[in-house]
Amino acid sequence: MSDLYLSRIRSWFLSSPPAEWALNRLRSTLIGALSQGPIPLHVAFEMDGNRRYARSHKIETIEGHHLGFEALARVRLLPTTPSAPRSTQTDRNLQVLEVCYKCGVKVVTVYAFSLENFHRPKYEVDGLMQLAKHKLEQLIQHGELLDRYGAGVKVLGRLDLIPPDVLEVVERAAAATQHNTDCVLNICFPYTSREEMTTAIRTTVEEYSTTPRPHSTPFSQNRITQKILSTQTGKSDPLEPISESPSPTPSSTQLDDNDDAASTATTLHSEATTAKSGVDEPVAIYPNAETITPETIDRHLYTAGCPPLDIFVRTSGVERLSDFMLWQCHQDTHIFFLKCFWPEFDLWHFLPVLVEWQWRQKQKARDERPRRRVKQA
Amino acid sequence: MPFLAKDLDTYRRDERLGHRLLTPEERVKLLKPYLPSPPSRSKSRSRTASSAAKAREEKKTRLGVRRFLRRQYHIFVFALIHIFFSVYIRFRQAYHAVANRIYSVYYHHHRTPELIRRDVKGLRRLPKHLSVILTLEDQRRSGAGLERLLNEVADVAAWCASAGIPQLSIYETTGILKGYLKETHDAVSQKLDFYFGSSYPSVSLRAPHMPPLDSTAPPTRTSHSSRTTSSSSSSSSDDDEEGPRKHISIVLISAEDGRDSMVDLTKTLAEMSQRKKLNTADITQELVDAELTESVMSEPDLLILFSPHVELAGYPPWQIRLTEIFHVKDNQGVGYQVFYRGLRKFAEAQMRKGR
Repeated sequence: MSDLYLSRIRSWFLSSPPAEWALNRLRSTLIGALSQGPIPLHVAFEMDGNRRYARSHKIETIEGHHLGFEALARVRLLPTTPSAPRSTQTDRNLQVLEVCYKCGVKVVTVYAFSLENFHRPKYEVDGLMQLAKHKLEQLIQHGELLDRYGAGVKVLGRLDLIPPDVLEVVERAAAATQHNTDCVLNICFPYTSREEMTTAIRTTVEEYSTTPRPHSTPFSQNRITQKILSTQTGKSDPLEPISESPSPTPSSTQLDDNDDAASTATTLHSEATTAKSGVDEPVAIYPNAETITPETIDRHLYTAGCPPLDIFVRTSGVERLSDFMLWQCHQDTHIFFLKCFWPEFDLWHFLPVLVEWQWRQKQKARDERPRRRVKQA
Repeated sequence: MPFLAKDLDTYRRDERLGHRLLTPEERVKLLKPYLPSPPSRSKSRSRTASSAAKAREEKKTRLGVRRFLRRQYHIFVFALIHIFFSVYIRFRQAYHAVANRIYSVYYHHHRTPELIRRDVKGLRRLPKHLSVILTLEDQRRSGAGLERLLNEVADVAAWCASAGIPQLSIYETTGILKGYLKETHDAVSQKLDFYFGSSYPSVSLRAPHMPPLDSTAPPTRTSHSSRTTSSSSSSSSDDDEEGPRKHISIVLISAEDGRDSMVDLTKTLAEMSQRKKLNTADITQELVDAELTESVMSEPDLLILFSPHVELAGYPPWQIRLTEIFHVKDNQGVGYQVFYRGLRKFAEAQMRKGR
């Protein structure tokens, strides 16, 4: 009981104008100060603990998701709160995205919905879908306001699994903010990282196993072989320089590719026979598979074009990655596991993370400097 | 900027009434003061923005000093924050160092498998596949660093064998251990001999794309001619039949088994597809999973880090999906207490798999 009174008094105090003013000054000072240091370019949040938060506060599960979604919607300019009584709880909530963008973070990626989440009770899944639709609709309604942040929204994941009515809204939202390239909010909607990696592998393979037609168009191989054959038969020497000068680049690369692909194995002679038979067989010229690098796969991921991930935050004390950003975060990303639930996560949880990251960056730079000196010596 | 209570209240009333109280225009008006001023970078984009930028240009001369002062102020606060933070972190590190020391005195293995087994007995469950990340210290004098690394590998293997964890994978970024497969195997068997005495568990050590090295394999037995291993290894192989706990298989992995192995898989698949041996629609998660499990390793249940903070340093991304990651804040070095606390944490954790 006294606990309740205390929280009432606390909320009354915190919502009084002078306290509010002071808090705001403090916030903006801190944000301004921290943006003087190194700033991560890409931050990922795994929004975990909405349901556990709901359970521990004895509210409906879907309410917990509402509060969690406030993370996005609210900071994304719409202070949507489904129900008032817990206002102070949510009041402090989630200025995180705004903080990120103000500090100069370019890309924020959030894990909104996992493919595994489809296994949840149907009413909850539907509730989440409707929630997403509703919020995105509001976002579009105020499209010009988004421009002020210069923020574009991208939805990553298996879009084909989203119900059609939600998908339509998703596409509209993405289109409405397409021109904002300064900062990006990636919402991973039905997403798992393994699925992402598989898709990347598949699309890479597809790219490497489709014949780039325009590559071979300007010069017909048939004509070249015919010319070579005709020169071999003895006449028309002046033709040679003409056919040689334009051809070297395409033909040489084509030959290379053929060698490596080793699939078509079309030698000059076999081609000559096909040319004679008059069948215009499509000559499969594939890019060399050996040129695939990690960067190639990077380009085919959903997060293509995003800077490397610097900070990964997971709330609610669970110390797993749970199929989120595996490819992106397994190298030198700093991973933070926080104890708080996502609906509680706010500026005061995020700033220590940021400060610690900055401190580690400094530490790392200091460690590397003497080593370099040693190398030079 | 957070919302003032009054505005928030208005907004919430609107929300509760299903957005009928306010028109979209009114809502925009309500939110306007909280939005940042239009960014200067968009000035070429729209007319209004460019005029706003021009207005700011005019103000610039007057506000230059103020901006300069604000910047200095921010730099000052930044420095202040970091001074306080480094003081705080030193204290935290000291505190954790003391706590870890106490833990390590309290939980010590004393090189007896019975003690470790007693520690583990109370746990609800054990990981079937444990993974650790070790780092090669001091790359210049690789001899000392390697020695230390071998020792750490042997220690961890011995703890696993005592606790009854059948599979262990050891990640080390550079992959230096792969070049010393036999030495590693010797170090591990020696350590196990030390722990268990004559009937120590058999060890199979392998690295991806390399032939496995079993303790019953002839080269090991001959190399250990000086010790009594020839008899002990034969007895251990007898024990091997009795219970699966008496065998431990170790996989050594490195950074090249992460991204690079996935790239290699992609290359192979691309080549197969180019030769029309494979339909791209057949590339499924199951296929990739099966291939990577086959060529590298399966998904570990628990990953224990001995580093002061969580940084995966190139650990295979595919395999780490649902792995429980354990680390002790500000920990330095490989210690039994970290290992034990990791197991305890794992026993308490619950897996929900998104449900």
